[in-house]
Amino acid sequence: MLDRELSGAAAIAGLGITEVGKVYGRSTAEFATDAVLRAVADAGLQVTDIDGLLTSNGMTGGGSFMLPDTLGLRDLRLNVTLSAAGATASAAIQYACMAVASGMCEAVVYVHADAPLTDRGVSSAAAYAGAASGRPPAGFRGVARSNGLVGANPLYALAARRHMERYGTTTEEFGAIAVAQRAWAAGSPLATMRTPITIGDHQASRWIAEPLRLLDCCLVSNGGVAFVVTSADRARTLRQPPVFVWGWGQGHPGYSMERGCEFGLVSGAGISGANALRMAGIPLADIDVCELYDCYTFTVLITLEDYGFCAKGEGGPFAASGALGPGGSLPTNTGGGQLSGYYLWGVTPLSEAVIQARGQGGDRQAPRHDVVLVSGNGGVLDFHGTVVLAAHPK
Amino acid sequence: MSAADQPGAGSAGRDAAILRDEASTPFFDAAADGRLLIRRCAACGHWIAPYLRMGVTLDRCPACTSDRLDWAEASGRGTLVTWTVVHQAGRRTPDDEQDAHPVGVVELEEGPWLTARLDADGTDLRAGLELEVAFVRPGGGEPVPVFAPAWRPDRPPG
Repeated sequence: MLDRELSGAAAIAGLGITEVGKVYGRSTAEFATDAVLRAVADAGLQVTDIDGLLTSNGMTGGGSFMLPDTLGLRDLRLNVTLSAAGATASAAIQYACMAVASGMCEAVVYVHADAPLTDRGVSSAAAYAGAASGRPPAGFRGVARSNGLVGANPLYALAARRHMERYGTTTEEFGAIAVAQRAWAAGSPLATMRTPITIGDHQASRWIAEPLRLLDCCLVSNGGVAFVVTSADRARTLRQPPVFVWGWGQGHPGYSMERGCEFGLVSGAGISGANALRMAGIPLADIDVCELYDCYTFTVLITLEDYGFCAKGEGGPFAASGALGPGGSLPTNTGGGQLSGYYLWGVTPLSEAVIQARGQGGDRQAPRHDVVLVSGNGGVLDFHGTVVLAAHPK
Repeated sequence: MSAADQPGAGSAGRDAAILRDEASTPFFDAAADGRLLIRRCAACGHWIAPYLRMGVTLDRCPACTSDRLDWAEASGRGTLVTWTVVHQAGRRTPDDEQDAHPVGVVELEEGPWLTARLDADGTDLRAGLELEVAFVRPGGGEPVPVFAPAWRPDRPPG
């Protein structure tokens, strides 16, 4: 089957979002169960209609071992836990569509839940351990720990600094992304951080790992999000406006980390985005809204460049132009993203894309929302996935 | 002598002594002599960093998949690719700024990228800066590479 035949064959028919953010006292499993029940109800289906289950693990598990028991899912035809780090959500939707289009399943649920935050004073940074404290492990792991290059923050900082050195990108341009997303967050009841910020606020926020400041970094959140994927034909008969999946792609650069390596300069979004658009059969200019994986402001910037919304190296000026915020030419991360909304490993952009494509964004609804581009990014720019969603059938 | 070398500099994180293990023994033995050892493929001659991010090591040559990797001496010269200044995660103490320290990715003359501490007091860091290796012993433990600008008024070349 050619990918052009798969384009639009499946649709997202249900979306379930639990309480998200600083929500304490609920386990990862409880969030997962709650999210699936919400998604199934949203679609107007019964749990017994689900015959495929895809799950992913965050910091605290969340996989599928007990979920079928809890939900009473019997004789599933698909039950797999996937991992492409932060790109998992974008990838999972691809496999869900393939399972439906191949006839393997009729209705697949993908769910991601996580609960790394506790109310016992554990900070976000501690939840994602990486602080260089305590005795280092022996050997080269000890050298890495001793250097302080532990966890995602300093490694993304290395990528961001390289981009700045090569292209003249500035911290204020990173700040423009944080400011635009916070402006969107003000309109989202799901968002954790809704008070508007300025470039000055961004510049005054403390360093995490230079050149990344606190307001360049995503939140850490608890919660769960689930999606129901079924055939386009069936989705049209269900409760919600179908969100058709027109195209997808993945790109995993495999950085050599030696002379000639493009780490920090080019991400997997180039290959992934081009293939997703080719499958969708549309040019980039047809994209109305972007929901881009934003572990850091820099990740948004490099993704915009590699998708081709601006020339390579022009991501900074493009962000600073105001294109991404409310009223801009390319509404991006309209729920505040993972910087200001909530951070759940890529189901954040995917869920907001469904909301926007349906036209259910309320105060934050983008004016044009027929075609929405979604990205996932994982590791340290190691994994990338793209999904093109549309409000109309092919 | 860098701050990390001084007695009583502290026991946490950056200043904690590093212990050797079997895999790192040749590297640390050479480092004690002031020599930088890296890996070289016995089959194709490709140069490989002794450790990658998070301290992970490769068992095979990424250029030809051979598992015959030797240790070989590098020139110790390289250029700065990128860097970060790491601040104490999650802490807001007076020590934070004092503890902040630059760490770089150095493109060795032989080609591999090595992540290492930078000793760049008084030098503006920039991509392409020429660097030379030296070694420091955090907490009196095994020596780790630290790269400094190859040309400095207080340390003439040669």
